[in-house]
Amino acid sequence: MNLEDELRSALRRENPSPGFAERVVARAHSSAKPTRAIPRMIWAMAVAAMLAIGFTSTYEYRQMKAERASHDAVIALRIASEKLNLARERIVRREN
Amino acid sequence: MPRTKSEAMTDDPERFEELVREHQAMVFSMACRYLRNRALAEEVAQDVFLQLYRKLPALESPEHVLHWLRWVTAHRLIDHSRQEKRRPQSPLEDAPEPASADSISSADPLLSDMLRDLVAALPENARVVMILRYQEDLDPMDIARALDMPIATVKSHLQR
Repeated sequence: MNLEDELRSALRRENPSPGFAERVVARAHSSAKPTRAIPRMIWAMAVAAMLAIGFTSTYEYRQMKAERASHDAVIALRIASEKLNLARERIVRREN
Repeated sequence: MPRTKSEAMTDDPERFEELVREHQAMVFSMACRYLRNRALAEEVAQDVFLQLYRKLPALESPEHVLHWLRWVTAHRLIDHSRQEKRRPQSPLEDAPEPASADSISSADPLLSDMLRDLVAALPENARVVMILRYQEDLDPMDIARALDMPIATVKSHLQR
């Protein structure tokens, strides 16, 4: 036999101890049942949905803040105008 | 929706067992030749099959299973020996297991044992290349594909 054949003979396959397959199967079934990996598409869709929700919420929040500010400004102007009217009426009354 | 063959094997314990029986000699022998320790080789082989069990739904064909098993076993063995190098060992753990009944049936048991020792003493990558070449009878191109290694590197390991 040449060296290559000797190597093939020395390194040929051999079986593990009896009951190996049963032990593997028992361990496999005692561990968690395999789960199918979540496809990348679903991950991408989830990330996109979260980003969309984030942007929409930020936009809505800013919109709501702007509306509240304009409402407050209108009230402030109304109060200022009423006070000016009162002051004007008092001045007119004194002059008469 | 039609299921793939590997999906069906995962659902059926008997079919997964068939798959283990079909490949156990390959995985165990790779580990045994690499580690020169039957108990450790069985442990590594069990871990490889458990990993296969979890991975099965993603494997598309029997050829894919075979290629995956070779790749995972080879890399697990290389990782294992790298970890062992970093860990201090007792001399008893280093001692190789006695020759199995299979190896005694060789034409020249002493020469076979010496060759196995020589292969086990090679650096990690060269050892795996030799095992795939002479145990699995793969040609250099298939070894390069199985290990994601340049063909020139495989050939240089084989020529040394």
